Amino acid sequence: MLDARVWLLWALTTLVAASSTRSPLYVIVLLLTTTVVGGTCATGEGRRAPLSPLRFAVVAVPLSALFNGLTVHFGDTVLFHLPSWLPLLGGAITLEALAFGALNGLTLTVIFSAFSVFNQVTPVRDLIQLTPRAFHEGGVVLSIALTFIPQTTRSLKRIREAQAVRGHRVEGIRDWLPIVVPLLVSGLERAMGLAEAMVARGYGAVTDEDHPLRTQGLLALGLLALLAGWLTYLFRAAWRISAVVTMAAGAGIIGLALWLTGRRVQHTVYRARSWTSGDTLTVLGCALTLTVALTQRETLYYSPYPQLSLPPFDPLVGTALLGLLVPAIVTVAKEDRGPDARGTQQAEALDEAP
Amino acid sequence: MRRLIGGAIYLLSGAVGVLAFIYPFFVPAGAVPQHGMAHSQDAPLLTAALVGLSVVALLVELQGRSLSAKTVAMLGVLVAVTSVLRFLEVAFPMPGGFSPIFAPIIIAGYVFGGRFGFLMGTFTLLASGLVTGGVGPWLPYQMFTAGWAGLSAGWLGRMSKGLKEHVAHVPQRDESRLTLRFSRLDLLILCLFGFFWGLLYGAIMNIYFWPFAVGAAEQTWTPGIGLGETLARYGAFYVVTSLAWDLARAAGNVALIVVLGRPMVKALERFRRRFHFQIQESGHSMAEAGPNA
Repeated sequence: MLDARVWLLWALTTLVAASSTRSPLYVIVLLLTTTVVGGTCATGEGRRAPLSPLRFAVVAVPLSALFNGLTVHFGDTVLFHLPSWLPLLGGAITLEALAFGALNGLTLTVIFSAFSVFNQVTPVRDLIQLTPRAFHEGGVVLSIALTFIPQTTRSLKRIREAQAVRGHRVEGIRDWLPIVVPLLVSGLERAMGLAEAMVARGYGAVTDEDHPLRTQGLLALGLLALLAGWLTYLFRAAWRISAVVTMAAGAGIIGLALWLTGRRVQHTVYRARSWTSGDTLTVLGCALTLTVALTQRETLYYSPYPQLSLPPFDPLVGTALLGLLVPAIVTVAKEDRGPDARGTQQAEALDEAP
Repeated sequence: MRRLIGGAIYLLSGAVGVLAFIYPFFVPAGAVPQHGMAHSQDAPLLTAALVGLSVVALLVELQGRSLSAKTVAMLGVLVAVTSVLRFLEVAFPMPGGFSPIFAPIIIAGYVFGGRFGFLMGTFTLLASGLVTGGVGPWLPYQMFTAGWAGLSAGWLGRMSKGLKEHVAHVPQRDESRLTLRFSRLDLLILCLFGFFWGLLYGAIMNIYFWPFAVGAAEQTWTPGIGLGETLARYGAFYVVTSLAWDLARAAGNVALIVVLGRPMVKALERFRRRFHFQIQESGHSMAEAGPNA
């Protein structure tokens, strides 16, 4: 099982790569990659997305093609005309507009599919562990919320059953009142007990102090640099590089403030997860894809306007996009190693146990 | 000094986030590559980073004044309750953009203040995204917008209490007296606020991708066409693609606030007094202290 940070990098790399191209060939390569990775790695009982990528594609691709085809009257291959008195829709319906809409839908499907895989393969506990130390209070809030969600769901069920026994039926919003208010009050009562337990165990006894002025100053300075950089980027095209450097400096200053804040918080790990060779390989694969996505924008670029044409395909760029397949290769290789690998997996599972 | 810098952080974070969203309305021609051009996807990646960083900076500042155990526990539990309501939304799709999570965020911000409202908004979207598999590139925008809905609800609550305080001549320092009756006017104001945020949430969530959306010329963005024309085009795009969807959300917010507003405010106010109950060191008796949340 890969590190949650590696999975996050994988999902973000897919996002950047998918955002960088509208060429159907590269988009299909990315879609196949995410499908293979999903099919190989997300086989367990993870969190399922409310909508599968296939169902998303069935809705998003035709809808996007239809919307674009009906509202964009540009392109050489005219299929038919809609009467001009129809507001927005009137005009030529072109093959190019339909194709571009379908491509947009397909790109959205790639992004949705990547994050769907990410949601399935990363346990919530691992995601919370990614919380920077500076947000330790936020991490505590999130942990409490995620711990209380199953309890709250059980409370909701109990309250609904109790109200049903009294003859209460949920038919409209007004009928939510006898359910939501007891749910809220019982939750707040639990919060009261939890707060008392936290105080009794010394929560806030050590770190109950405000951030130093220096951190606040750094945050303000970082935000000011971001603002100045963004305005320069928008209004001074000639100074674009300086603008990007200023924004990067702003991001760095905010990062420094985060690091300084995090240093004040003691962080302990019960069982630290060890970095595996699979993690390293996946990072290298993502780095390859990311480099190509950021440097080969012109190669990845494609537009079906004004006349639909066969999109160009560079095999090197296509191969570089396959860097995103590494998680699937690592998983398959691990399974093929047989009993030893299973032993390692069990050891890893023990390592990851809370 | 600390207050001054804190105010500057609120202002700058809001400015960075808002300008990252609304740059299409004022950017000159040629400043950003349009759709159909190479590098046209640089701006969305940059705006996503800017919005993410502004949320991070504001969260650090809001956490700066350390949260008490009671606030942490209450925030965690309220986020859990609201996230469970989002399960209902996922399990039983509701009309249009109706979502039961906004009314609790607005009401909690109204009662507990802007800081609590912002944290509740951001953490609710984050926690519910984690448990419903809703993590994606849209999440920073959702967190930013929901956070600001909670933050502004806190300002509304403060204004409302301040106004009542002024009218009723209640001493300013006496926090315990600030819990006044939740009148019909309050309910009406909260409903209007919920309706406004129901529409604004959709309008803001549209803006981040609108400059790169392809569509009819009278609905798509072109740099340098001026504020009036940009607003007109965005208005046309919004009416065609989102208004009906967002009206369902706005109407849902109003319906939930009408039904749940008064009892929820009453329950939260009661717990607010219980949670802020402290023993005063110099006093001869127990009294309520000001909110350290």
